[in-house]
Amino acid sequence: MRYSRSLLLVCFAAGLIGQTGRDAYRQAYDVWQQAQANLERDAGKGAAPQVAQADRSAAAAVAFQSTRMAYLKSSAESAVQRRRILQTPVTRSSPDLMPPAVANLAAAELQTVTRAIDKFAADKDRGIQQLRQSMEREKVALAALTDTIKTRQKAVAATSTASATLEQARGKAAAAFAEQTSQFSQTVAQMDAEGAAWTAYYSKLADAIQIANAPPSPAPAVEISTNTPPPAPRNASVSPVPLVRYVGTWSYPAVNGIFHGAQPESVALEIQEQNGHVNGTVDAKFKRSPGNANDPMVRFKFTGDITATPTQKFTLMTSDGAAGVIELIPGPAFNLLEVNFQTDPQPNKIRSGNFILMKK
Amino acid sequence: MKCALGILLCAAAFGQDVVPSNPAGTDLATLEQTVQKRHAEWEALARDMNDRMARILPCDPRALTAVAEVSRASEARLAALSDYLRAVSAKAFAETAEARNLLVTEERQAVESRLQRADAGQEQTAVDIQSDALAQSVKQRTSLEAPQKLLAQIAAMIHQRATSMEQQTGSAEAAVGLLRDLVPKFEARDAALREEFAAAESERARWNGYYAARKSRAQIECTITQIGASQSKGSKQ
Repeated sequence: MRYSRSLLLVCFAAGLIGQTGRDAYRQAYDVWQQAQANLERDAGKGAAPQVAQADRSAAAAVAFQSTRMAYLKSSAESAVQRRRILQTPVTRSSPDLMPPAVANLAAAELQTVTRAIDKFAADKDRGIQQLRQSMEREKVALAALTDTIKTRQKAVAATSTASATLEQARGKAAAAFAEQTSQFSQTVAQMDAEGAAWTAYYSKLADAIQIANAPPSPAPAVEISTNTPPPAPRNASVSPVPLVRYVGTWSYPAVNGIFHGAQPESVALEIQEQNGHVNGTVDAKFKRSPGNANDPMVRFKFTGDITATPTQKFTLMTSDGAAGVIELIPGPAFNLLEVNFQTDPQPNKIRSGNFILMKK
Repeated sequence: MKCALGILLCAAAFGQDVVPSNPAGTDLATLEQTVQKRHAEWEALARDMNDRMARILPCDPRALTAVAEVSRASEARLAALSDYLRAVSAKAFAETAEARNLLVTEERQAVESRLQRADAGQEQTAVDIQSDALAQSVKQRTSLEAPQKLLAQIAAMIHQRATSMEQQTGSAEAAVGLLRDLVPKFEARDAALREEFAAAESERARWNGYYAARKSRAQIECTITQIGASQSKGSKQ
C-alpha cells in the first residue's frame, strides 16, 4: 500500500508537471494570491480571521513555491538531457582514409600504360594493335579513375572544412547554454530563498496580528483595549502541516482522476476540526467492473485526533456497520489530498480505496 | 557523365533524405580500423601487381589470378570504406535531427523564459501592493513593523530576481540565436558527407572498371601470344 501510494503521488506529480508545466504553478500562484487578498490591508485591524488567512496564505505560498520549483527543476533536468548533443564533438569522417598512395598508384598505372601505348603506336602487327586497343581502354578507365579520386579528395577536404566550422559553432553554442544553465541555477536558488522568506513572513505577520499593542496614533488606550480582538488561536493542532491541508470539502475530479485499485466515479469528503479533533464523512460511488457484483456505494464516517505527522489516520465506521481505517495524506499541491481507506470485509461491499481528491 | 553517375549513386544511397543505416551497428573506430586494414592489404598487392605479372607468362593462370586478387582486395577496401561512411553519415544525420529538435525546444523555452520574466514582473507588482497595504496597517499596529521589514526584504529579492531573469531571457535568446546558426552548419556537414559518400561510391565503380580493363588486357596478352605461337608452329611445318 505504501508502494502504491508513492506510485500514485509520483504519477500525479509527473502528470501535473508533464501535462500542465507552467500552468500548474500559475494556477497555484493565483490560488495563493486569492488566499492572501487584502491580508496586509486588514492586518491593521486584524483578528482571528486574518490569522487564519495568514496560515492559509502560508500554505498556498508553500504549494506555489514547491509546484514552481518542481517544474523548474524538471525543466532544468530535461534541458541538461537535450543539450547533451552540444557537449560532445560532432561526428566527422576521418581524412586519413584518403591517403595520397591511392592517387599515386593510379597515376603510376596511368603513366605505365600510356608509355606502353606510345611504344606500340607504330607497330602494325594485328595482335599488338589489339593489345594497344585494350591498353587504350585501360587508359580511359584509369583517367576516369584519376578524376574520381580527385573528386573524392575534394569531397573529403570539404567534409573536413564543414566539420571544423560546425565544431567551432558547437563549442560557442555549448558555452552559451552552459552560461544560461548557470544563470538558471542562480534564479532557482533565489526562488528557494524567497520561499523560505515567505514562510517566515506569514509566521511573523500572524504573530504580529495577535499582539495587542497600542497604535502610534493618539487614540485613547481604553478604546484600543475594547476594539482590539483577543489573540486568535493559530493552528492549535500538533500537525506539522497546516490544518487547511485536511479540513474542508473535497471531491474526486470528474476528469483525469488519479486512483489505485477500485476506480471512483464520484467521491465527496467533508472534514471538520475542532480543538485538534476531526470529524469527517465520505460518500463515494465506484465504477462497476465487468463481472464484479459489489455494491458501488461506500459511505462512512470517521473521527479522531490530529497527530504530529503529515499523514493523519482515523478510525471509520461504514453505514453498514463495518469498521476500518482511513489515512489522509496531503498531496503535492495544497489543494490535493490523498485518501486511502480500508474496511473489514463484508459480502458484496468494496472494502478499500485509494485516490486523490481536490479541494472545493 | 561523371556528374550523372555521381548523382545517380548519391540518389541511390541517400534518396529521399533517408538516413543510411549502420550495416553492422559497429562503432566507427572499429569500422575505420577495418578500412585501414583493407587498404593496407590492397596496397601491398596493388603496388607490385605489374612487377609480378611481368615475371609470369601471359597464359599462365597466375596472371589472371593476380589481377583478380588485387581486384578483390580493392573491392573489399572500398566496401569497408562504404560501410564506414554509411555509419558516419547515419550518426551525423541523427545528430542533425537532434539539433533541429533542440532548436525547436529551445525556441519554445525562450518564449517560456520571457513568460517567466513576465511572471516575475507580476510578482513584483503584487509584493509592492502588499508592501503599500502593510505600510498603512503599520500605522494602526506597530507590531507589524517586523513583518514589514521581512516583506521589504522579499520585495528586494523579487526585484533582484526579476533583473536576473531579464538577463537570463537575453542570454536564452542569444543562445537560441547561436543554435539557429548551428543547425545549417550541421546540414552543411551532412551535405558534405553525402558528397563524400557519393564520391567514394563513384571511385569504387571506377576501380572496378579499371581492374576489369586490366583483366581484359591480360586475356588479350594471352590470346595474341597463343596466336603468335601457332603461327610460328605453322610456318615451321
